[in-house]
Amino acid sequence: MKKILLLSIFLLSALFTESWAQERTISGTVTSAEDGSTMPGVNVVLKGTTNGTITDIDGNYKLSVPSEGGILSFSFVGLTTQEIEIGARSVIDLAMTADVQQLSEVVVTALGIEKEARSIGYGIDVIDGDQLLEARESNIVNAMQGKVTGVTISNTSGNLGSSSKVIIRGVTSLRGNNAPLWIVDGIPINDAQTPTGSRISGVRDFANGASVINPDDVETINVLKGAAATALYGSRAAAGAIVVTTKKGERGKNGKAQVSINSTVRFDDLLTIPDYQQQYAMGDAFKYDSSSVGFDWGPRIVGQTVNLPVTGESGPLTAIEDNGVNDFFERGVSLINNVSVSDATDKSNYRLSITSLNQDGVIPGQELDRLTLGLNTGMQHSDKLRSSFGIQYIKTKSVGTAAAGANDPNIIGLGSFSSTLDQNNFKPWIDASGNQINQTTPTSNNPYWIRNENRNDRNWDRYLGNFEVQYTPIEKLNILGRLGYDYEIDNRFFSNRKGTAQRLEGNFTVDGIRRSQINFDGIANYSTDLSEDFGLSILAGYNYNKRLFTRETLFGNELAVPQLFDPGNVNQTVSSRNFSERILMGAYGQAELSYKNWATLSLTARNDWSSTLPLENNSYFYPSASAAVVFTDALGISNNILSFGKIRASYAQVGNDADPYQLDFRFFPVSTASGQYGLNVNFPFNGQLAFAKANTIPNNNLLPEQQKSYEFGLDLQFLDGRIGLDVAYFKSQNINQIADLPIPQSTGFNFRTTNVGQVDTKGFELTLDAKVLEMGDFSWNSIVNFSQVESTVVELAEGVERLLIASAFNSVQVVAVPGEEFQLFGIPYLRDSVTNEILIDPNTGRRLAGEAKTFGSVLPDFTMGFVNNFSYKGLNVSFTIDWRSGGIMKSSTVEGLQNGGLAEETTLNREGTFIDKGGVILNADGSIRENDVPLRNSRDFWTALNDGSIAEPWIFDASFVKLREVAVSYTLPSKFFDNSFINSFQIGIEGRNLALLYSKVPHIDPESNLFGSGADGFGIERSNIPSTRGIGFNVRVKF
Amino acid sequence: MKNSLKTYLLSFVFLLSAFSCDDVLDVNTDPLAATSADPNVVLPYVIVQYSNRKQTELGTRTSDVPQYMSSNFNSPKTGSTTSFLTGNTWRMMYVDVLGNLALVEADAKEAGATSNNVAAIAIVLKALIYYELTSIWEDVPFTQAINGQEFPSPTFDSQETVLNGVAALLDEANTLIAEIPAEGVFDVSGGDLIYQGDMTKWEKLSNSLKLRVLMMIRNKDTSVDSQITALLSKPLIENSGDIAMLTYSGQAGAENAFQTIVSAFFGSDNESTGVHAPGPVFYDLIVNNNDPREQLFIYDPGNVGPPSIGQFSFGSFAHFSNNVIRGSLPDIFFTAAEVNFYKAELALKGVGTSNTQTEYENGVRNILTFWGQDIPGAITTLTGGEIDAYVASLPDLSLLTNADALTRVHEQQYLEAFLNPILGWNTVRRTGVPTMDPVPGTAISTYLKRFTYPPNEIAANPNTPANLPTDRPMWFE
Repeated sequence: MKKILLLSIFLLSALFTESWAQERTISGTVTSAEDGSTMPGVNVVLKGTTNGTITDIDGNYKLSVPSEGGILSFSFVGLTTQEIEIGARSVIDLAMTADVQQLSEVVVTALGIEKEARSIGYGIDVIDGDQLLEARESNIVNAMQGKVTGVTISNTSGNLGSSSKVIIRGVTSLRGNNAPLWIVDGIPINDAQTPTGSRISGVRDFANGASVINPDDVETINVLKGAAATALYGSRAAAGAIVVTTKKGERGKNGKAQVSINSTVRFDDLLTIPDYQQQYAMGDAFKYDSSSVGFDWGPRIVGQTVNLPVTGESGPLTAIEDNGVNDFFERGVSLINNVSVSDATDKSNYRLSITSLNQDGVIPGQELDRLTLGLNTGMQHSDKLRSSFGIQYIKTKSVGTAAAGANDPNIIGLGSFSSTLDQNNFKPWIDASGNQINQTTPTSNNPYWIRNENRNDRNWDRYLGNFEVQYTPIEKLNILGRLGYDYEIDNRFFSNRKGTAQRLEGNFTVDGIRRSQINFDGIANYSTDLSEDFGLSILAGYNYNKRLFTRETLFGNELAVPQLFDPGNVNQTVSSRNFSERILMGAYGQAELSYKNWATLSLTARNDWSSTLPLENNSYFYPSASAAVVFTDALGISNNILSFGKIRASYAQVGNDADPYQLDFRFFPVSTASGQYGLNVNFPFNGQLAFAKANTIPNNNLLPEQQKSYEFGLDLQFLDGRIGLDVAYFKSQNINQIADLPIPQSTGFNFRTTNVGQVDTKGFELTLDAKVLEMGDFSWNSIVNFSQVESTVVELAEGVERLLIASAFNSVQVVAVPGEEFQLFGIPYLRDSVTNEILIDPNTGRRLAGEAKTFGSVLPDFTMGFVNNFSYKGLNVSFTIDWRSGGIMKSSTVEGLQNGGLAEETTLNREGTFIDKGGVILNADGSIRENDVPLRNSRDFWTALNDGSIAEPWIFDASFVKLREVAVSYTLPSKFFDNSFINSFQIGIEGRNLALLYSKVPHIDPESNLFGSGADGFGIERSNIPSTRGIGFNVRVKF
Repeated sequence: MKNSLKTYLLSFVFLLSAFSCDDVLDVNTDPLAATSADPNVVLPYVIVQYSNRKQTELGTRTSDVPQYMSSNFNSPKTGSTTSFLTGNTWRMMYVDVLGNLALVEADAKEAGATSNNVAAIAIVLKALIYYELTSIWEDVPFTQAINGQEFPSPTFDSQETVLNGVAALLDEANTLIAEIPAEGVFDVSGGDLIYQGDMTKWEKLSNSLKLRVLMMIRNKDTSVDSQITALLSKPLIENSGDIAMLTYSGQAGAENAFQTIVSAFFGSDNESTGVHAPGPVFYDLIVNNNDPREQLFIYDPGNVGPPSIGQFSFGSFAHFSNNVIRGSLPDIFFTAAEVNFYKAELALKGVGTSNTQTEYENGVRNILTFWGQDIPGAITTLTGGEIDAYVASLPDLSLLTNADALTRVHEQQYLEAFLNPILGWNTVRRTGVPTMDPVPGTAISTYLKRFTYPPNEIAANPNTPANLPTDRPMWFE
């Protein structure tokens, strides 16, 4: 039937041939079937000829065709190629549909090279910019949570502007080089995080560098996983790369400039608050003590008349709901507003975007304001020359960042709330003369004083610029030059007002950080068809990268005039400087051979020269190879069940350099002679300067680090693309790691820098996406991503049993131990060697401390994300569930809540003697007996649990399931706006971190982490600002 | 095909490598660091870092072990020495002090005789540190220490070896001092924060320190008596002008840690906060004997007496006066009285030719003169008459039994070592005087006798011996 029809058309056209035997012009507009937008760049070819054109910026085309009919072929990467009989028409408009079957999705690979996903031999995940806008986050990193396979994202706390850590496919480095490289529009940007202070003396966690990327400006994020994917980026991307492409100018659907406005208001509250006990008052030994903050071992609360805390007034003792946590913590408010203007012609385009983010944190006195200005523009100068540039300026100003760690009076943790302490009584906190008032004791601070009078400011200016020129001297040859610059001025200011308990005379710290990075890539690319079936693409490039870091700090102590922060106004000033410079040069090449659009072999090579390595060893070469075969095409498989299948494999080797200045023995000028409790003295001392040797033995024979990895993957699509499955297995071996190895201090040094150890990773990733249901206007899409990574420390160095990765408090550390993943290391209970029962001291009835040991891996066993999207006409509902399983953590907050008798579980058997049934007593003959030594009461049990720095009772399984994101949006039908200037109007409700669905850690959010993104600390929590849950409302309008 | 591609690629790489010039990459020299350093800047680091870490770590945390104080924060007196206390002290001594001193000494020796003074200072300080190391941990790396090239995992030497080795080091220092040329001597007056380059005083300190060490050895092995006798005729520290100490100006950033722990955490001064208070044993020895040090040391307007061991005063009991706990309190390494009392002790034991009573009285006079008159920054002073009167009131030791006379001397030795955390602890362990009060809630059978080895050394050095119980006496006791 069909044949007959075709034949008759053929005959018909043949009949008319003579009468139409001259050239004619055909024109039309190509649109996207998905959203109706016009499609520039679509190939329109008269089938069987080389006669063709591409659609212009408005989707229009015009083509001269012979008068005798013919067939027009419309093709565009990622869309179904359509062939249309011209017939007698002079106008052919076409709506193109996505080609799910072909999987010809475009991904951005290393160096910003766009490729069809079907030709890629390694793992890449793509996040569409719109996904980041469903529930907007102030740190873009968090918005990726649960959406990318094989990527673990963790943020540290509920602090505004806190840092977030990204680990792609597990940890591979023993020295903290586990963060991916961030690339924005082809330019590497700094993602480093520099905290001020130390965990020992109090630390401020500030956002990581990549947090400035504005979700409203993001077109796509491509996550490059594995060394083969990043090989052309060289050593800096050994831990993966996150390639961000920002939005470029485009014309609106109505052929005019496009203006879009996106406004969000969001409210944040604490996600979890501890289960505080409300039966017993502040104090000890059942005696009430109004100054006993965070230590609620006082009498049962029965309304007895006492002198109330803070005010000292007589009144009935009552429990304050939730210990006043909700009185002290406030509702955070965020306003996110974005306006963008974009337009394009066939010669030029531009997009201007302005975003303001204004946030009030949950902790009093905390604010963050960020202004982002972005301009992208490009120009087609001639057929052969094209240039573009983009600049972004991001100004972030934050005040009142909360302190974490220890030994800092500014730390406010969940353990500072007591059952009978009304937080409202702390107001006011200052009198007319500037003195602190309403304290519980003269040596403790009013929390509102801390929050309102002591400053924790950051003023951060970031400039990102890129300039790109593309020249096509001859067909098939493309030469590209790309220059990028990333500069930041990060000024921080901290002060303790005169009168702050523990810092009575007042002090201030000015911390000025400058960072710059200049990057140049010159790339030449030549693509040609070797034959009808073989295509070859050759690329060669050169890279220059220079990074500078400067830091100047000034500490002023003991102010004469309060609140005058000038070095002339203090009794003591201590200043310090820090500087580092590093240069990396690379030459690279790639050859890609393709066969019949179903097989691709790609080979790359790169050689780097690094300034941080010894001159004779500063060059290192590494190759990679990857291959992809679309076997369904190769084998001609074509059926409804398996509609697409691709197998991929890759192998890569990557090198890495050292940090600057690790080669020469050095003496440093010293400004501080450190002491316990931060009681330091300073140089010049009695007029004398001081220099000290480095405490790490340098190594001028350092070799580059080396990573070898391979990956296999399978892409399958079933039922005409309704179900997609992507599976990957990868393995990497990381050797010659440059690490500071601890050596006996009795040698006179702490460490020696050397090439040591081996860390292996292997893992498995699976992404399953399905169009679960499509009924009329209703559709339900579901994506499940699963990844399981095992990073094993294979060996350290001879005689080294473990290597410190990060250190916390009370002997709790994260360590590398051969044969294991990164381990939590701490002091356990002493246990009987035969029965493994906890041993009780027969003299005291308390548990005994054992020798420090490893407790288990701090890294998750697997992570899983579950993303669902329902849509019906203009209504869209989506939610993301994030599951992390395995890994352990130690919580100091829970420790404090239990030690202090604040937690609900401490009310059990509180009155009367208490025998700890959790342990046994070792008899003299080596046998054990049930514990029979009574404690005075349960207080003696809970307060003694951490005797001898025991960590064991507060080590928990950190697994959790979170409802990470829910977004509901409704796009108003366009007919509403037919006669107005509005093109589209969307309203939405969004929620972030809505619920902790499963957790084994009591009282706190198991995701909390003491370490910011700058350290490889995992699994240790202490005095963090509790994490938050946010609900927001969003309006998006396009003109 | 693959091979030709590779060749193609490689040639591209090599072509581009022409751009990579070593000059461009030669930026790996830290502009904020030096490759060598003058002893006049390294010695201040060593001395001040030692003093401040010692005062904060041992002074403010362990003064209640020999019970000079009633209670200290994070004290190990109940038998548990934390990893911070042990780790920070160990690191300071080996890495910060001995590690830098070794470089100073090596540079000075290479420079020849004109730098003998610098080498001698480095060696005397080194001897002091090893003496303290073995006093804290007993067996410590000595013969193989600070030589990572040859001994990456130093073995631990017995206390006997270390103490004898320290004595030998001090002999070496004296030889170097004796061979200092008359002219062209390196000027170390700036960096020497203890004696401003005065080598006659360094010689006295060297001899006196050797006496202290030999007294410790003598407790176990009297064969050193001949060495002691020879030493007594050599120059020793004999008056306040010879005293080895580090002065603190008391300005912000140059305050003694006994004061900064008060001002950082509690309030402006010790009298108003009562953070540091005397232990009953120390208090009684002073107050019950009408010792004028009462008016110098004790603040007790209500006359309530001292807190008991393990208890803080915080204003409820007698505590130390602002004359003691102040930013300008010097860190005292060695006083003249210590020598006097060794001489008195030796005379009672029949060693040497000193007169017991003379040395006993001179010792008391010297220590009172120092605390009451000569100490920098004193707030309260004693008149010469007050000192004379107290010296005159001292018992005639010749009328007492030898044992009682020794106890009187040992009591003075104990009082003399006040605020010198290791010497004070050693004095109690060496002499057994005074008797320590029982420590409430202690986990050990007696007072603390030793620290455990720090976790870092245990982890990195397989030669670290197993930890002994912290009440196990040391070799010298």
